[in-house]
Amino acid sequence: MEQIPILRIGDCLLVSIQVDMHDRMAINLQDSLTTRIVETNARGVLIDISALEIVGSFIGRMLNNIASMSRVLDAVTVVVGMRPAVAITLVELGLELPGVKTALNVDRGLLLIRRQIDDGAEHA
Amino acid sequence: MKKRILAMAMQEETDIILARQRSRTLAAELAFDGQDQTRIATAVSEIVRNVLEYAQGGRIEFWLDDGDVPVFEIVVSDTGPGIPHLEAVLEGRHRSTTGMGVGVIGARRLMDGFTMTSIPGKGTTVTLQKHLPSRTKALTSATLNRISDLVAQQAKADPVAEVRRQNQEMMLQLEELGRRGEELQILNQELSDTNRGVVALYAELEERADHLRRADQLKTRFLSNMSHEFRTPLNSIMSLSRLLLSRIDGPLASEQEKQVQFIRSAAENLTELVNNLLDIARVEAGKTVVTPKEFSVEELFGALRGMLRPILIGDAVDLVFDDANDVPLLFTDEGKVSQILRNFISNAIKFTERGEIRVWCEWNQDTQEVTFKVRDSGLGISPSDIAVIWEEFGQVAGAHQARVKGTGLGLPLARKLAELMGGTVSVESQPGTGSCFSVTLPRSMRAANVSPMPQWTVDPDKLPVLIVEDNAADSFTLERALVSTRYQPIAVQTLAHARAVLADLQPVAIVLDVMLQAEESWRLLIETRQNERTVGIPAIVVSTTHEERKARSFGADEYLDKPVDPRVLVAALDRLTGSRSTIRTLLIDDEEVSRYLIRQLLPRGAFDLTEAESAMTGIDMAARIQPDVILLDLNMPHMDGYAAIEALSNDMSLRDIPVIIATSMVLTDTERARLAKAAKIISKFDITTPILVNAIRDVVDRTVKAVA
Repeated sequence: MEQIPILRIGDCLLVSIQVDMHDRMAINLQDSLTTRIVETNARGVLIDISALEIVGSFIGRMLNNIASMSRVLDAVTVVVGMRPAVAITLVELGLELPGVKTALNVDRGLLLIRRQIDDGAEHA
Repeated sequence: MKKRILAMAMQEETDIILARQRSRTLAAELAFDGQDQTRIATAVSEIVRNVLEYAQGGRIEFWLDDGDVPVFEIVVSDTGPGIPHLEAVLEGRHRSTTGMGVGVIGARRLMDGFTMTSIPGKGTTVTLQKHLPSRTKALTSATLNRISDLVAQQAKADPVAEVRRQNQEMMLQLEELGRRGEELQILNQELSDTNRGVVALYAELEERADHLRRADQLKTRFLSNMSHEFRTPLNSIMSLSRLLLSRIDGPLASEQEKQVQFIRSAAENLTELVNNLLDIARVEAGKTVVTPKEFSVEELFGALRGMLRPILIGDAVDLVFDDANDVPLLFTDEGKVSQILRNFISNAIKFTERGEIRVWCEWNQDTQEVTFKVRDSGLGISPSDIAVIWEEFGQVAGAHQARVKGTGLGLPLARKLAELMGGTVSVESQPGTGSCFSVTLPRSMRAANVSPMPQWTVDPDKLPVLIVEDNAADSFTLERALVSTRYQPIAVQTLAHARAVLADLQPVAIVLDVMLQAEESWRLLIETRQNERTVGIPAIVVSTTHEERKARSFGADEYLDKPVDPRVLVAALDRLTGSRSTIRTLLIDDEEVSRYLIRQLLPRGAFDLTEAESAMTGIDMAARIQPDVILLDLNMPHMDGYAAIEALSNDMSLRDIPVIIATSMVLTDTERARLAKAAKIISKFDITTPILVNAIRDVVDRTVKAVA
């Protein structure tokens, strides 16, 4: 069974989705990602979907789920690299991703996560 | 007419991917733009997922309707249970548990045409339509065949395999990255090897440089020796030609005279060359001694004016010295400054046919530097030649050069001399309008190491120690060594200050560093040994040069190698002054003048002097203070010296105190015999500090040894 690799960058996890995922892969990803967050005490999750040409409602829901789960595990999720066509389609599809933060690229995503963590620390 | 492009069955989850990828490929082939490709694929993905989820399988067909409005049609059908609440779904009231509840409605939004029919128990059919873009070419059946072939071919590839392939690609990329990392490491290794190579090369270069330095030294030595050798025969030639020209040995024919003149001027030129060579060689060998002294620029200019006027030929060239009254007195080597300026000026004279040569001096208060400038209105030097003129034998080639001959050594010598005095030379020049040579020198060569006379107040509870040390850091170390001892360090950095201190007070010891001007330091040491007032002061010489024997032969009491261990220094001071510094001396003398004299002669600090005006009080005092030594006068009223010494030797507590008789009388042998109990007898006539101090020390030392 194919796995989406999860890489660790400092206290963040980077998930780079390079293949057109089928649904089970997506569910597996959810599971393994949450496990990794706990294992590594990660504070942030970056999901790079720059290779995806099609993001349907299922993947959308998966992203939303991942965001909610990691929030519960005290990690910030940022989806980066969404293609314009995908974004337009998502809007047209009427799909909203209320819990998912997005950033243009990995660098900005990391910055966003850093800021969120810092803000969290201040409020805490 | 409707044509079917492709049909496929769907049984498993991976078929969703296949279905949407194919719809995307087809859309692309049909010239839909990227956005529409994504729309179509997304819509298909949504619908197909529903089929698989609710009906566990179905079928997808792709059609092309090239009617009036050409349409790309996708029909997804299943034979599942059908949708019981189709209405609700289509109105968006249905809550899906898998998607975001937008699947069907969203898909409808993405497409141009959407119909959904569902018969419970029989199945559901969804038809998706998208208008073909206008740029799509008329599709022939051949084109359609090609498209379906293409897609069919792709279809053969297992989508799982596709995913695997992509993952493998990623693995390959990771591997590639790893390899790059290794390559970088190798590169790094290579770089550090190169670095080592460079270091080795440096060592080699250093070695070469050393060789060169040695060769240079050899050259310098050769030059200096050869120049000396040359001078002797040259002198002979000059004197002989002078002799011939004076016609002492008979007249010369006019041609002969001309020839001898030529010989003479050739010899003169050669002498100049040799002298310059010798000067350069001396400077390079470091043999040139700079002897700074104070002089005024005005005087220097006066002397130069006198020296150089005669060289001026004709009236075409004026030599002008500007006023230099506002320049303060200089403290540097006047001879060398004069030599530099002579070189500049004679150079200027050589290359100036008419006009003016101006010499002036500028004073810079801020940098404490003077700049002498010599400006001519001569040929000038082209920029490319400027660097050359400061090199030995570096002469500028030019029309004028044929006529004027120099040695090519004058300017290099000037540069070397200026550097010797801590200065620099420079030149500005414009070909055709003239040159301006300048030399900048520090006003005073001692400015750097002149420090103000240190101020101190003698601490009455401590013993002053004079520290003569020119190095501030070393001086500090020595001073530190004496902190919280019973010594008070008085540090000076120059010999002049040391002399001033010695004139002012009587330290218990002198710590003398053999300074850069070693001879001067030794002279100070000798001076203190020759001066009656200071001879009694123990001197400790500290040096890095291991000159113990020399130091001791000049009268140093102790020699310490630098760096000086504070404990060693204090121990030495204790040893040299320790017992003596507390030599409690009781002086018994009725004469005020004698007491005053001895009080003045005894170095304060080293001796603790108590005075008694009569033998009676003296003996009382001795019993009370138990002095280390008693200085006793012989001729006193009431009880004289003889009686006193008798009384002292009869007292058990006083008999061990040595007694020195200090008398102005000339004693007979009988009288001396009566004084056998005295440790020493000294005459007041020729009493001096060394005599007194040495006598006391001698006696005290003997007593200490005897007691020990």
